[in-house]
Amino acid sequence: MTWLVWRQYRAHGAIASVLLAAAAAVILVDGFQIASRWHSILVTCAGNSACLGQQGPLVNGVVSDLPYLSLILPVVLGMLWGAPLVAHELETRTSDFVWAQSVTRTRWLAVKTGWLLLAAGMCGGVLAALTTWWSGPINALSASAFDPGQFDTQGIVPIGYAVFAMALGIAAGTVARRTLPAIAVVLGGFIALRLLIAGVLRPHYIAAVTHYYSLTSSFSPPGQAWVLGQGAVSRTGVTVPQGWGSLGSVVPAACQSLLAGPATGKFGSMSAMFSCLQAHGWRGFATYQPAYRYWPFQGIETGIYVLLAAALIAVTFAIVRRRDA
Amino acid sequence: MSMAIETPEAIETHELSKRYRRVSALTECTVTVPQGRVCALVGPNGAGKTTLLRMLAGLASPTSGTASVLGGAPRQDPTFLSEVGFLAQEIPMYRRLSAEDHIRIGTHLNQRWDASLAHTRLAELRIPLDQPVGTLSGGQRAQVALALTLAKRPRLLLLDEPFAALDPLARQNFLATLTSAVTDAAGRLTLVLSSHLVTDLERVCDHIILLAGSRVQIYGDIAALLTEHKVLVGPDRDTVPIGQTHRVVHTMATGGRSTRLVRLDGPVTDPAYQAEDVTLEELVLAYMGAGEASAAKHLTTVGEES
Repeated sequence: MTWLVWRQYRAHGAIASVLLAAAAAVILVDGFQIASRWHSILVTCAGNSACLGQQGPLVNGVVSDLPYLSLILPVVLGMLWGAPLVAHELETRTSDFVWAQSVTRTRWLAVKTGWLLLAAGMCGGVLAALTTWWSGPINALSASAFDPGQFDTQGIVPIGYAVFAMALGIAAGTVARRTLPAIAVVLGGFIALRLLIAGVLRPHYIAAVTHYYSLTSSFSPPGQAWVLGQGAVSRTGVTVPQGWGSLGSVVPAACQSLLAGPATGKFGSMSAMFSCLQAHGWRGFATYQPAYRYWPFQGIETGIYVLLAAALIAVTFAIVRRRDA
Repeated sequence: MSMAIETPEAIETHELSKRYRRVSALTECTVTVPQGRVCALVGPNGAGKTTLLRMLAGLASPTSGTASVLGGAPRQDPTFLSEVGFLAQEIPMYRRLSAEDHIRIGTHLNQRWDASLAHTRLAELRIPLDQPVGTLSGGQRAQVALALTLAKRPRLLLLDEPFAALDPLARQNFLATLTSAVTDAAGRLTLVLSSHLVTDLERVCDHIILLAGSRVQIYGDIAALLTEHKVLVGPDRDTVPIGQTHRVVHTMATGGRSTRLVRLDGPVTDPAYQAEDVTLEELVLAYMGAGEASAAKHLTTVGEES
């Protein structure tokens, strides 16, 4: 069976390897340049954090979009390899040839899906490893590895995405029995689910930490924490997020005078405003996921996608075994 | 009891039925095919031939009834699959892969696989092994598919409309390959070939299953069926006396005389009738007509009920 998979997918594999190698070459070349720039910045600034803040961007132009490769890769794999896996055999009736050999449909499907899920996981893993390494200096400089966008391209979650997209393609193709609708399902379904999970579920994998602090001081969570919300909160629970655009409507009467005038946006008058708010029982708050939760979150999110993939593959097996060929 | 185990029928079905949503593709099909037979599965398009073959091959499951193939129900296990060869009407193959690739797939996907048999047959027919099968002619492709099916060395070979895509010459080559395979197997191979034309199969088959309107009209040994049936030519008068002793399958009246195809139940005693031998084609056409008529009648009654 493995030989058949090899024979059917060796061209796919060769193309994928070439593309992956090309992407790797670009990432490596650019990554080394970023790393050397980062080293010279570290030497120049010698531990002075103010100096670090004044450095220009580490990444330039087009190459800064590199992480998006690992966002696109899973859905491309799901569309090009996953969707046709069963559907194309049914469309061209080659299922009648291969299922008339002495291998059971279960074994045929197990070997085929097994190798393709492995291939998807490996593609996702290789790209994720490269992106993680490439992002190292950026993570260090801007402490943003936990933020949406960065979190999704690094660590182990891209492996989960790739495995899931492949499983989605296989299952959709099996249900629809046609490749084209399955491709549409992968594209729509994968993007929708990614947005949903990243936007709605991910902030709540573990209850976020909220820290309160005096408005006259400043606070930022230590390390590469993921800040979900920060701003000011009144004694009665009225909140104003950072940016302070909505401050005008809720500000206590005593501080109203500080609002007037075009200078409101300026830091000087804001600090007077903060003192006034502080005096009237307002506090600063920061709701965030601490940096040490980065890997637990990576694990939870990867787990969700792998479990969904497993469910989709189980559905595929049930259909292929029971439905008439 | 040991007798029954020694020679199980190659195919034995009992009221095998298949419905697709509200359409009945096969209705209460009860047939047997003994081992070593070459069986013609004949019927008009849509009679249920493909449905029956796919259920026997384990590619479709019955809605009701049972099928026993080589002593067991068709199932997904390597032993059963290795004993049954199935060639679908569309002659499915991987168009971009060569005949050689397909032979190698067979090697990897079967415990029992006679690659040299496939090589020999394709060499005899001068079919290129290294060319994508999609570039071969329809006849060559059918030959490659047949060679692959035979290389599996099945004990039961199910071929669905194998002649549909073939020109007369390719048909002859294909039949020759089949005939030699049956001879080589010396009674170990049972063959079922479906076609909507009995003339395609007449020369090679010794057994027949006739389907029309999703039902079995007749089945059994062809020679026996031909002796049991006669064409009676006689006066065009009340058929009751004949209908009482024999079963009239089909009647055709022409100018005061009638021609009746009957299944005999005893000798024809009425001297007014002249008994003639029946050909397989006449037999098939008579039963097909009867089957279609009853299917049409059935449809009408269903329509009236609803």
